[in-house]
Amino acid sequence: MTKPGLGLLAVSVFMALAGCAPATRVTLLPDAGLRSTAVVVTPQINNKAREPVVLDKPLVDVDIYSTGLVYTTPDSQALKRNASLIAIQPAEPLRSIVNFLPGTTELTPESAATLAQAIDNAKKRAGGEIIVVGHTDTVGEPAGNDALSVKRAQAVRDLLIERGFNRDLIEAVGRGQRELLVPTGLGVDEPRNRRVEVIVR
Amino acid sequence: MLFCSLGLLGLGELAAAQDARSGTVKEVVGTVSLVQGTATRAAKPGEAISATDKVVTGRDGNVSMVLRDGTVMSIGPNSQINLSQFRYDSTTQQGNILVNVLQGSMRMITGLIAKVSPQDVKVTTPTSVVGVRGTDFIVEVK
Repeated sequence: MTKPGLGLLAVSVFMALAGCAPATRVTLLPDAGLRSTAVVVTPQINNKAREPVVLDKPLVDVDIYSTGLVYTTPDSQALKRNASLIAIQPAEPLRSIVNFLPGTTELTPESAATLAQAIDNAKKRAGGEIIVVGHTDTVGEPAGNDALSVKRAQAVRDLLIERGFNRDLIEAVGRGQRELLVPTGLGVDEPRNRRVEVIVR
Repeated sequence: MLFCSLGLLGLGELAAAQDARSGTVKEVVGTVSLVQGTATRAAKPGEAISATDKVVTGRDGNVSMVLRDGTVMSIGPNSQINLSQFRYDSTTQQGNILVNVLQGSMRMITGLIAKVSPQDVKVTTPTSVVGVRGTDFIVEVK
């Protein structure tokens, strides 16, 4: 990342004081998760791309002026300036897993309770949705498992609708054998991998 | 142009999916509208947002929404933000997102599409293109 010299910083502060807000300002926020994070900002002045700026430290502003001047400045006030926007951040998704009685589309008693809880939680959220994600083990062909995992998810979606949850706010997704809970080789019958995740967001 | 149209024919299935819900409105504070062509509707929690919808907030308006891949967008007052492209295959988690921040402020926390293929998520402003690498950031446009 380019560090601003004192001179540039002074110019930037002067322009800010003079009321010349940048045309675009981009700020990376501190990431609560473990993912490494960065953005690449490419100024486009009169439809021409300029040298990209890689932002890989949080709370540094990249300011782009319509004249083509570009500054990076530390100690961003972006969180303070955008307090109202930060305040309406949706809550983190809640995840649970439901299982079926062997060979049926009937939930185990614990899973029936889990589903009821998911509905309660989703209704408490503004625009609360339930994403139902089906998974299979590695027995059979991947394409067939994609179809099977969707069927499992749809079975849970139907149960949610039956219990009165708004169908428009449910999405049934099949991930096939892509996300094994218990890693196995191909062709392994593993009940723990045959599951449906219920995500409230 | 003809060439482009022919290329798109193969994506008929994807185009059909674009009519559907791309995301869902979460919290709404103050005046927030969703504009599709010449039709304007008030944003409310649970409302579907679709590709090519423009989100317009008033001077007291703030809105948060979650796209189908889990991308979170929070939008501040006096903003005009266009969800110009959204494609998503929930089985493979591949797709693309293009958001134009025409005016105002937006926070984006990227979701599954950016995790699988960060190069397919882009935010533009009148004077920049922002590419992501799995991340949480704010874009402000005067």
